[in-house]
Amino acid sequence: MSSEHLSKQFDADLETLRSGVLQMGGLVESQIRGAIEAFTNGNADLIEQIVAAEVRVNECEVQIDDDCSHIIVKRQPAAGDLRLIMAISKTVTDLERIGDEAEKIARMSKQIHDRGHTDLHRFANIRHAADIALSMLRQALDAFARLDTAQAASIIRQDMAIDIEFRSILRQLITFMMEDPRTISTALEIVWIAKAVERIGDHAKNIAEDVIYIVKGTDVRHTAVEVVEREALG
Amino acid sequence: MNLYARRLLVNRVNLLVSLLAMGFGLFWLGWILYTLFEAGFRALTPDLFLRTTPPPGSTGGLLNAIAGSLFMATAGTLLGTPIGIMAGIYLAEFGRRGWLAPVTRFINDILLSAPSIVVGLFIYEAYVVHVRHFSAWAGIMALALIVIPVVIRTTENMLRLVPDSLREAAAALGAPQWKVISLVTVRAAKAGIITGILLAVARISGETAPLLFTALNNQFWSLNMNAPMANLPVVIFQFAMSPYEDWQRLAWAGALLITLSVLALNIFARVFFRNKTPVY
Amino acid sequence: MNAAVLQSSPEITVQQKIEVRNLNFYYGGFHALKNINLAIPERKVTAFIGPSGCGKSTLLRTFNRMYNLYPNQEARGEILLDGENVLAPGQDLNRLRAKVGMVFQKPTPFPMSIYDNIAFGVRLYENLSSREMEERIEWALRKAALWEEVKDKLKQGGTSLSGGQQQRLCIARGIAVKPEVLLLDEPCSALDPISTGRIEELVHELKTDYTIVIVTHNMQQAARVSDYTAYMYLGEMVEFGVTDEVFIKPKKKETEDYITGRFG
Repeated sequence: MSSEHLSKQFDADLETLRSGVLQMGGLVESQIRGAIEAFTNGNADLIEQIVAAEVRVNECEVQIDDDCSHIIVKRQPAAGDLRLIMAISKTVTDLERIGDEAEKIARMSKQIHDRGHTDLHRFANIRHAADIALSMLRQALDAFARLDTAQAASIIRQDMAIDIEFRSILRQLITFMMEDPRTISTALEIVWIAKAVERIGDHAKNIAEDVIYIVKGTDVRHTAVEVVEREALG
Repeated sequence: MNLYARRLLVNRVNLLVSLLAMGFGLFWLGWILYTLFEAGFRALTPDLFLRTTPPPGSTGGLLNAIAGSLFMATAGTLLGTPIGIMAGIYLAEFGRRGWLAPVTRFINDILLSAPSIVVGLFIYEAYVVHVRHFSAWAGIMALALIVIPVVIRTTENMLRLVPDSLREAAAALGAPQWKVISLVTVRAAKAGIITGILLAVARISGETAPLLFTALNNQFWSLNMNAPMANLPVVIFQFAMSPYEDWQRLAWAGALLITLSVLALNIFARVFFRNKTPVY
Repeated sequence: MNAAVLQSSPEITVQQKIEVRNLNFYYGGFHALKNINLAIPERKVTAFIGPSGCGKSTLLRTFNRMYNLYPNQEARGEILLDGENVLAPGQDLNRLRAKVGMVFQKPTPFPMSIYDNIAFGVRLYENLSSREMEERIEWALRKAALWEEVKDKLKQGGTSLSGGQQQRLCIARGIAVKPEVLLLDEPCSALDPISTGRIEELVHELKTDYTIVIVTHNMQQAARVSDYTAYMYLGEMVEFGVTDEVFIKPKKKETEDYITGRFG
């Protein structure tokens, strides 16, 4: 991945692919930020923006997958190039799903705000979890750009934190629902939002695993985090 | 004028010059053939093949000369060809290393271009003088000495045309070298080698000088190997220089016969083996 | 994937058919193969890949001592075929070549009938009755996937076949003598894609009975056809391993550079 191919066109195609992924990642990041804003402030315009970004994210996914097919048929990539293409195809799917989750968060936040339940500061830990998820995504994209396996390994560890947050949010919401049955609709919507945040964390973790696959060639999905760290740093 | 027009002109000029040169050569060839036909055609009667050479003033044919030529050419070829082929095989198949092959090739090239009269004189000195008479044996030996270099050269060249990949393929199956040569390489070059032999035959059919000192000539019918034997070239020599008209006519007929048979042999060699030489 | 690596490591569970030790090869003064150490596993397909001039064909041709046909070519070291050193002086080269067969890049049918082409090798070392010979020839042609196409014209010349058929004829000729090892020197480079595909299928079937070593400059072919791959560069053995690993996760950077088409 350091030196150049004999074919300059091949190098250019791979570069296009890589920057396409990073661009798509940027769009998705903005979607998440918008979703967090929408949750906090209920701003209706943001939701429009997020939906518009969603269209472009979907187009990116289709385009990048198509580009991957072209490279495979033209170049029969092997070794590092092959792993890169396979990983990009998967990463792009994860990014698109993150976008979907962000859109869900935005729509449900709108519903909550329309109903008038704006005292969501009680759910500051959702905001906190969402911030972690956004930062995980940013770090994952950064690790992809720099092919940094150490950073990728740390992202995988951070996903555990989100899972813990999610469980505590659930416990909180159950308490609220038991206290005041009128809050049940809102609480349920908040559960979906928390779940969406947790899923964003999972997808960011997947992207980090893909980075390790690109660099080391080892598939670290479904392995314990200590094994992953050994693989990534060793 | 511009570059293209100049090149076109040069092209055309050269083409014209080549055609003229070819025409020049063909002209003489045509004239020779025409002269032969015109002079010898009248003498082409069945008698030519049925009666022996006559004394001047009476009619006759060339039977003994034709038979003698055929006999000595065949025998000379039979004697020289095996030696030539074996030597050619040695040069092509075993001559890749060492000094013997290049030296042999060099000597062969000299022999190939040696004047045939020298060959005849050599046999005369080495054999005829010792046995004190001319004979068909001597003539056969002289002809064989002319056949050998030709066959060596063509055999070696034809064998070299066979690509090494064929030899390797046979060796890769575990065949020892002599089998590779005999069963594969020589078979592959078979057509070319036979063509070479035919061309050698065509060459010796017309040789006069060597026979002058070895087989000489015989007015009468004889198949005695130890005695002089009649042959076409010497008969032509003798009859053409004589003042007798019927002898001269027989000489023309003989010349025509030789020319036609050499022509036929060449055409046969080319046509028959045209489709048999493999393309690699 | 980890389990597969352990299982197919050549030293552990698979028999070695050919073992090369400290092999050096010289074309006159030119040092063409430098200290090669290698083990060819039995009844598997091993591929040699590398750029032009890296020595892969040279190495292949040491296995059946084909270089002995030419002067000024010398091999030093050891090549053990089933434990016996092939390079030892006094080796019966013809017997060796009957055990280690070779198919070349250019199809080379002999100038004889198809029947005689295949019978040629068999007649060298075996004395078969005409019925047994016919059976052997049919067997060899069936194995080479050529029987159906030529069964009615066995008396026709070998050169009357198409390029792909000629190459399959050469393969049939090679296996008719029942060798133990089959060396294929770029067998498909002169053929069109369909003939190439047929021969690759054939190699896949043949490996159940024979140890096969194939030299190819087509990397995708090496990836498709072989179980083990050796990458060579400038006369040295750079990397040797299970094919899937070499092509997905090579150990050496030089291997990766070659496979991905990068030359610094």
